[in-house]
Amino acid sequence: MEEHVCGLRVGQSVPDLKIETFDPVKGDFGEIDIAALGKAGKWTVLFFYPADFTFV
Amino acid sequence: MVTVSRDTKFVHLAWQRDEKLLEKVKYPMGSDPTGRICRLFGVLDEASGLSLRGTFLISPQGTIMNSEVNFYNLGRNVEEILRKVVANKHLAASPAEACPAQWRKVGDLTLKPSAKMVGKVSEAMKK
Repeated sequence: MEEHVCGLRVGQSVPDLKIETFDPVKGDFGEIDIAALGKAGKWTVLFFYPADFTFV
Repeated sequence: MVTVSRDTKFVHLAWQRDEKLLEKVKYPMGSDPTGRICRLFGVLDEASGLSLRGTFLISPQGTIMNSEVNFYNLGRNVEEILRKVVANKHLAASPAEACPAQWRKVGDLTLKPSAKMVGKVSEAMKK
């Protein structure tokens, strides 16, 4: 993935991406698979922020 | 909706349990300790190692339809993010249409770009 140093842009495709998560609804750890969400017809909003324990 | 920061999932858990404002959070909190995902989306501030406030809307086909990045000191407008989600879903279902400036919700006027509309957007907006 190092070739994407400048960052993905609008119109480009997201590569296969799995993200480790804490899921507050289940109260448990898990994993999000963007491609799997897409196959289920879902849109995804990725919401980046600097750090926990700060305002978002 | 998936949130992402470089904190580990363990810190996410502690924060969500500690901060009263996060009591009702329903979305999964993504962890990117290596910064790989932040870097992929171009939101990693290499100087601090932290992620900037980036928001990316990804279609079911895996295409990035919208991106917005704020510096540290400006929070986001959730209504605007929702507006973009609603607009993009509508446009995906109606690919011949376009949502003009100030479009807010399904039912608002959309445009159907064509040769006839060239130079006549003002008239089209009055329909």
